[in-house]
Amino acid sequence: MSSNALPGLQFLDPAVLARIGNLELVARTVVEGFLGGLHRSPHLGTSIDFAEHRQYMPGDDIRRIDWRLYGRVDRYYIKEYEADTNTNFSVLLDVSKSMSFGSGATTKLDYARTLAACLAYFSNQQRDRVGLITFDEDIVEIVPPSAKHLPNVLHALARAAPARGGNIERVFRKLNEQFKRRSMLLIISDFYENPEKIMDAFAQLRGRGNDLMAMHILDTAELEFPYDGATSFEDIETGERIPVIPEYLRDKYRTMIRAHVAEIERLCGDQGVDYWLFDTSMPLDYALFAFLSRRQFLTRVR
Amino acid sequence: MAFLAPLFLAGLVALAVPILVHLTHKERKDVVLFPSLMFLTKIPYQAVRRQRIRHWLLFAARCLALILLALAFARPFLTKPAIAAPTRGLGAREVVIMIDRSYSMAYGDRWTRAVDAAKRAIAGIGANDRASIVLFDGSAMAATESTADKAVLTTAIDRVKPGAGVTRYEPAFKLAQRILSESRLPRREVLLISDFQRVGWDGRDSPSLPAGTNIEKVDLSDPKTSNVAVTSVDFRRDFAEDRERVAITARLVNRSPEPRTGHSATLELNGRAVETKQVNLAANAAATVEFSPAPLPSGTTKGVIRLADDALPRDNSFYFAISRGQALSVLVIDHREGGPSRSLYVERALAIGDQPNFRVTTKRLGNVTASDFAGRSLILLNDSDLPGGELGRRLVEYVQNGGGVMVAMGDRSAPRERPAYASELLPPTADAPIDRTEDRGGTLGYIDRSHPIFELFSAPRSGDFSTPRFFRYRSITPAPGDEQLARFDDGHIALLERKLGRGRVLIFASSFDGIWNDLPLQPVFLPVAHQLAKYAAAYADERPWSVVGQVANLPAIFRDSTGPADAANSADYVAVAPSGERTRLEGTAKRSVELTEQGFYELQRSGSRGEPRTLAVNVDLAESDMAAVEPQLLTGAMVARAGADSASSSVEASTPAEAERRQGFWWYLLAAVLLLLVGETLLSNQLSRRIAVSR
Repeated sequence: MSSNALPGLQFLDPAVLARIGNLELVARTVVEGFLGGLHRSPHLGTSIDFAEHRQYMPGDDIRRIDWRLYGRVDRYYIKEYEADTNTNFSVLLDVSKSMSFGSGATTKLDYARTLAACLAYFSNQQRDRVGLITFDEDIVEIVPPSAKHLPNVLHALARAAPARGGNIERVFRKLNEQFKRRSMLLIISDFYENPEKIMDAFAQLRGRGNDLMAMHILDTAELEFPYDGATSFEDIETGERIPVIPEYLRDKYRTMIRAHVAEIERLCGDQGVDYWLFDTSMPLDYALFAFLSRRQFLTRVR
Repeated sequence: MAFLAPLFLAGLVALAVPILVHLTHKERKDVVLFPSLMFLTKIPYQAVRRQRIRHWLLFAARCLALILLALAFARPFLTKPAIAAPTRGLGAREVVIMIDRSYSMAYGDRWTRAVDAAKRAIAGIGANDRASIVLFDGSAMAATESTADKAVLTTAIDRVKPGAGVTRYEPAFKLAQRILSESRLPRREVLLISDFQRVGWDGRDSPSLPAGTNIEKVDLSDPKTSNVAVTSVDFRRDFAEDRERVAITARLVNRSPEPRTGHSATLELNGRAVETKQVNLAANAAATVEFSPAPLPSGTTKGVIRLADDALPRDNSFYFAISRGQALSVLVIDHREGGPSRSLYVERALAIGDQPNFRVTTKRLGNVTASDFAGRSLILLNDSDLPGGELGRRLVEYVQNGGGVMVAMGDRSAPRERPAYASELLPPTADAPIDRTEDRGGTLGYIDRSHPIFELFSAPRSGDFSTPRFFRYRSITPAPGDEQLARFDDGHIALLERKLGRGRVLIFASSFDGIWNDLPLQPVFLPVAHQLAKYAAAYADERPWSVVGQVANLPAIFRDSTGPADAANSADYVAVAPSGERTRLEGTAKRSVELTEQGFYELQRSGSRGEPRTLAVNVDLAESDMAAVEPQLLTGAMVARAGADSASSSVEASTPAEAERRQGFWWYLLAAVLLLLVGETLLSNQLSRRIAVSR
């Protein structure tokens, strides 16, 4: 990729796109839309034109099988004829200071904005309106959802820099006023907050009928705590320091971070929020593939 | 138990290292930035855990290794239990003030400081105390007897100046040992005033002082020294029309970390400055200065290389004495019959020698008279008969008085016609020569390379003796006492040495004419001819200089090879030192003089009107190396030995083996340290693996 390319385009890794190119990003909830797309419309009958055939997969409604086609080719195909529409897809990216942490070459923020760029790009390909909100302890930047705002989103992602601490609860309370239309919201954060408070914040958005996805980004060092030797640990956000002997605290820390992750995952499941934990050591394309596969599976089941 | 180097016990401070490592877990200075401490702050932090030693065995191994290491470096040694009461404490003192007067004490203001220190010590002597002054360099002498008179002691100090000798501590301590052991005073003290040069003590054979002796030291060494010295002089002679010239090259050494530029070096011959040159010397480096060739006058020439003044003046002057006439006079005797001379090769070989120069005279046997033997260093009978009658007897006398004869056998040295006295000079020889022409000549099968003649060729690739081919040679039957120096490959003798009186005869079984062999055509011929001639003539290189501390053997210096054998031994001599001090050596018991001063000694045989022999004497340059030994090491050894001998309180020196046995504990300690460290490595590896697995 040349250096004079579109800002933010470096996040659209071709390797990543190749892996997730055959997946459908289908909204679980039908949202209102103006443009035709792949998302199912809540207004049945407004557009029932045939769209395409696709191979039958376990879990599909057998009533939608095209039997004529079966008679010709002896294979099951689903006839897609539902009216499709577009939806708002907004990424809520945490750019608090804690996201600047990285034990390797990639920080959590780098990883997160790559993810956000990929998903925004794909959503835009599906004619969804894409938007972006960066936040820390307050809202930093808002790119309203629009079919033409992909470059703006990518610009905003490229500009995002950690500067302050985070407060997800307050930010989401303010954001509640932002989404007038039901949207698909992708929250990317390291979620260093009490799980109950996080769920309270989620509940405010979800109460407006938004479809939430939560991507929990953590560094390997945050999960494994591989430090040795007595030293002082400094909180990136608050500057607070405490002396630590990692050998003594490692086991307890691991237990606590896993409990924290498990609690968030459990509460997300209870509220119908898709949750996924991403370790920044995981290849990005694998992470996207896994997440979108899960989204597709959940869509079919529902 | 005591220690030779107790200062190393300070290394026990290093015990703090494992304690800190095990106990405190000192925090690293770098801080780890972490996204959130929300979990870490929830974990109860037990500060006390940081002060707990976890691995006691590892901790003990590390501490023990450090302790043993410090002990090993402190050089512990065993002492016998003291029977005699300790003599330290109250009571009168016997004080020995030892003053180093080696020439390095003239460096800078060392001597002034030494005198001041000695006078302070004298001033501190009490009414009941006694003191003596011991002056030492290479040897030691008591400047005063043990006395309580401070004036006597002070006067003795004022009379002393630094000498020309080198530092040696052993004689001084032996003398102090004798003085202290003879004293009946209860307290014994030694004050050692020195620059503690390393050359003065090799760490062995330390004399033991009486038990309880207290050694004080005044260290006059300088942390940074600067010194330029002349270390040697080389001569290159050339001869032209009876004139002899010599080119002198001096080697200079700069023993200082600073380079010297434009340092002047002056050549003086017979008191006259001949040439001055400037030389640049790098730091701690050497350089050579080559002076222009100068004609050598007759007699002995006194030469001096003088450098510009520096902090140590003694080694700035280098004295040497050279003389003309170093050539060996060789008489080559050809066969009495006519025809061309067969001495061409040997004449040419000797003519180009310059160390020494050979003056060759060739005569036919019929023309030789007894007067031709006078003044000859060597007579070469080159494929010639032995002279008969009176001339033959004079030849034997010539050898017996120290002359050298070399005999080369060819086809004209017929053994049948030898006169009766010949058996004294030559061994029996077969009439018929051995002919090896059919097998393309014989070679040398054995050479005694340890003999002075062939020692020059003992190094690898220095003289190829395998190429000369010997087509004919005579079979020699050695007599008892004859020494075989070389043999042919068939076992026949090639070179034989016979000693006769004070002289020697070399017999070569073949010829030097290139007819019976091709030896003269080989590269090895030239050095072999020179070696044979020098050895047969008993030539010894003239020593242009001696070193302070050596002894001049006067009969050897005055011995004339052609004179009576015992004339030099029975003579009386007079030696005049550079300071003008005359020493008369009378009787056979006193035939040598110790060289204690730097400069020119004049040596004269009593009653002789000839020119006196001149001997140049230089200081020992080992002393110009200012490197100092740790004073504690030296005095500590003396104290330790004093403790070891406390049982008898007498002067008895321990054997080196016993001393080594008593001081050899450090080896065992180091071995124990090694074992401990190996164990520590294994243990820590095991613990690390265990910790890694537990994670």
